[in-house]
Amino acid sequence: MLPTTTFILVVEDDPVLKNLLGHTFASKYQTLYASNGTEALELFEANKPALVLLDLILPGMSGFEILETIRKRTDAQKDTPIIIVSNLGQDSDKEKAKALGANDYLVKAENSIEEIVSRMEALLPK
Amino acid sequence: MPLWLLFTLAFIVLIATTLGAIWYTTFTLLYPLIPPSAYVPVTEGATLLDAFMLLVVLILFVILGRLTALPLRRLNRAVNAFASRGERIPIVIPSFAPSEIRTLMRSFVDLVGSVETAHKKDVETSRVKSDFITTAAHQLRTPLTGVRWALEALENSELTEDQRGLVKNATDKSHELVAIVGTLLDISAIESGKYKYTFEQVDVNALTAEVANDFDAPAAERGLVLVFTPTAAVPFVRCDRERVKWVLSNLVDNAIRYTPSGGRITLGVTYGAERVFITVRDMGIGISAKDSANIFERFFRAGNAVAKENEGNGLGLYIARTIATDHGGDLRFSANTDGPGTTFTLSLPTGGPATTV
Repeated sequence: MLPTTTFILVVEDDPVLKNLLGHTFASKYQTLYASNGTEALELFEANKPALVLLDLILPGMSGFEILETIRKRTDAQKDTPIIIVSNLGQDSDKEKAKALGANDYLVKAENSIEEIVSRMEALLPK
Repeated sequence: MPLWLLFTLAFIVLIATTLGAIWYTTFTLLYPLIPPSAYVPVTEGATLLDAFMLLVVLILFVILGRLTALPLRRLNRAVNAFASRGERIPIVIPSFAPSEIRTLMRSFVDLVGSVETAHKKDVETSRVKSDFITTAAHQLRTPLTGVRWALEALENSELTEDQRGLVKNATDKSHELVAIVGTLLDISAIESGKYKYTFEQVDVNALTAEVANDFDAPAAERGLVLVFTPTAAVPFVRCDRERVKWVLSNLVDNAIRYTPSGGRITLGVTYGAERVFITVRDMGIGISAKDSANIFERFFRAGNAVAKENEGNGLGLYIARTIATDHGGDLRFSANTDGPGTTFTLSLPTGGPATTV
């Protein structure tokens, strides 16, 4: 169990998928949800999440842009672990995400939530 | 000016000169026999004229040769460049060239133009098709994710035995759908050249052993024995390790699917001049002559699988062979001569010093 002051930020615009992630996360993490880039960056700024799950296709600002914005910061938050959880899965998308500084990349449809959790655990401070 | 006219002109001048020379010679030789009254003196002028005519003939032939040969040579270079590399060397059609050659050059320029247009159209069609598949597959993935995650959550909740079985059926099928969408995306990527390979020096023995190891359990589960004995001194292969491993896994998976219980699947590595061959030998009932022409086709499935469950989607061998040829290698199969079954052979070009076993 994480201390209650640490948060996971989930950036996901599909309400059903958000709900399903929440179903599993509820017992494990303090979770914040954002549906778009502006919300995501505001929550990121205010709550200093320990990890971000980031979708790529979002209304307005794309996941790539959010990732880039976070990695361009100059404070300690710039190195927050970020896992891309998207249904984009071409080699070019994965390469781009890695180049921009994503720590991991999961194709949503191809992974169970348990798999996502285990990848998160690998990146979260013990 | 047409070529025939040039040749005719040169020929007329040549004949005239020759006749002049004959006339001159005849009169010189017959001089003593000609009665003085009939004698027409050969003047210095006539001799000079004849020499001059000869020179004109010579020059005419040289010009003719060059007029014909130079543009033909240029055309030849352009044809070769286009045929071998698809490169388009701009051709200047010389206005002084014979009209037949000018026509030929113009035809070639037109031909190159239409070939390029057709090719561009082809590329565009295939891009549109591939973009459509990519978009459609991504659109499918989002609702599929919801179905999958919901079913998995349901599977983990309190259920009766009956319900659990039903949910498992639905979950399995959702996984199958996810795999199909993934394969469609792979195919679309492979066909549009977006499939990126990461080449490295690979020890084929180690790679094959890894695959054999992965399939030990599934083979045993179906009552099959999976054997692999490494071969010494196999050269390294330059390939995309993950993709080649995928190809081998696919072949072994097929072999397991088509071999009846009690059978044996043999993996082997051999090498020849600049090629390493990885063989996957099964003891299935073989590929019928009717099917053999089609097994590398998309969505083709032989009707004689032993294991009816998890039949696969008929895309594996198509992708496998595309990966092989993208490596400069090949994927072939042949019926076993000393027993039942089929042997698939993946050949890959070598790219390094031999391994030590």
